[in-house]
Amino acid sequence: MPRILLVEDEEHLAAGIRFNFELEGYEVETIGDGLRAVERLAPPAEGPVWDAAPTLDLVVLDVMLPGLDGFEIVERMRQAGNYTPVLMLTAKGLPEDVVQGLEAGADDYLPKPFDLVVLLARVRSLVRRRDWARAPAEGSSPVRIGGASVDFASFELRKGGVTARLTLLEAMLLKLLVERRGQVVTKAEILEKVWNLNPDTETRAVDNFVMRLRRHLEEDARSPRFLQTVRGVGYRLVEE
Amino acid sequence: MTDLSQLSRSRRPKWHYVAVGVGLIVVAVALTVAWQILAAPESVGSQAVGPVRAIAYFFGSLLFLLLIAGLVLIVILLLREVRLNERQSNFVSAVTHELKTPVASLKLYLDTLEYRDVAPEKRADFYRTMRQDIERLNSTINNVLNAAMYTDRPVADPRPLDLARVARHAIELTATRHQLPKEAIRYEGPVGLWVAGDPQALETAVLNLLDNAVKYSKDRVEIEVEVWGDADGQAHVKVRDHGIGMSRTHLPFIFTRFYRIGTEVRRSRTGTGLGLFIVRAVVKGHRGTITADSPGPDRGSSFTISLPGLLEPDREPEGEAARA
Repeated sequence: MPRILLVEDEEHLAAGIRFNFELEGYEVETIGDGLRAVERLAPPAEGPVWDAAPTLDLVVLDVMLPGLDGFEIVERMRQAGNYTPVLMLTAKGLPEDVVQGLEAGADDYLPKPFDLVVLLARVRSLVRRRDWARAPAEGSSPVRIGGASVDFASFELRKGGVTARLTLLEAMLLKLLVERRGQVVTKAEILEKVWNLNPDTETRAVDNFVMRLRRHLEEDARSPRFLQTVRGVGYRLVEE
Repeated sequence: MTDLSQLSRSRRPKWHYVAVGVGLIVVAVALTVAWQILAAPESVGSQAVGPVRAIAYFFGSLLFLLLIAGLVLIVILLLREVRLNERQSNFVSAVTHELKTPVASLKLYLDTLEYRDVAPEKRADFYRTMRQDIERLNSTINNVLNAAMYTDRPVADPRPLDLARVARHAIELTATRHQLPKEAIRYEGPVGLWVAGDPQALETAVLNLLDNAVKYSKDRVEIEVEVWGDADGQAHVKVRDHGIGMSRTHLPFIFTRFYRIGTEVRRSRTGTGLGLFIVRAVVKGHRGTITADSPGPDRGSSFTISLPGLLEPDREPEGEAARA
């Protein structure tokens, strides 16, 4: 049974969401303030404390919280090596907030007020997307890109003895490019397939994610050999 | 909401302009000092210095000082503007949150009732939640409207009113709204205390103080409301809580429009930053004063409204009590 952590300080919303999640068959934990959420999601460095607590499949996170805001919570989570998918909920539905949330490391974003069916669909899709990103792309062996090898089952990218951990979104973006190796993938398609966003959304998020992937994959991120930009269209992953 | 948000984007704090201003002041001061050293008459009063040069030196220095004073003034004004913009953008953020949260909750519960088979007792629970959301929405809307309606201008049509009755009614309303036990808010004061004013406005002011007292109380709500008249012909209403209080540094600012302690993204209490602003506007409209006091964080706070023009009990107009 997938387990969801709901971080929401507004009691009414928390109770209503919880009620619906439980009917969908999820196990639900709720936390009402930012500091306790960080304790649960990004415990102090000494020892992986969260091993003791049940593993989470998804975090549904409000932005405006007492103690610590949602953006910071995601950032700290990722820094601490916790790559559980995060769905952010917020009253501020501006494109720049979407970008800030995604750049902080969130996987999806839903402005308040939301439709219940949309929320449930997004939650299902995030749980599913995690499985999809985890399913091996080509056979079960890690995928090779230049000198790097990517293991989509563990979200690990190894290059020259260094192992980097990919976020769900990074893994999905890379997987999309791997599946379409040699072809141009448009930004609109990436926004739609990876971010679940309207393809018209004005955002630099994709470019920023590509930059991050290049830092992992390329010798020189500024003159990429593998992950190429096709000016005005999108991106392409090429063999050497 | 998009328009409001765009407003907030263009009103991002402009601290770098302030930095430029401060830099300019430093340059002007340095220039003044350098000029005074260079242009100083070698020895004032000696033969070498003519009176013309001494006068030029005097006026030169004066102009330099004027320049610096002007710059300082501009930077101060700029600083105030920047602060206001910051508060305004916080306000937009707070109102967005205050409006959207109950709407989101209402929508969620409506959706739930529509899609699910909800047991009757749970259903009653949902209805209660939804009613509270509507209450919250309504109070935010009222706050925004009141802030626009009550200005510092004198009340247009002051009528004799019973301040004690206004306070007691506000207590009743607050207790109902927040579902408080009877002993949570204690009233202390006379049966009647008459002043001239706008009863609706004064009730809003007392309600806002009480709302704050409840909101900033800790687990147990304990509020005292005191009403009294003094020998100088002033009527007072004091609302004291035993809640989270505040540090003295915040006291001078709390009546400012949009002022809220802390940043919005880490909000810990609901609100728009308009409540006390409205209280002050109402009180000023009655030519009165409002004072706040708190011994410090976690030690509660008290707010006192003082209104001039206490009416003698014998001047209590007949039939007014029934009308008030």
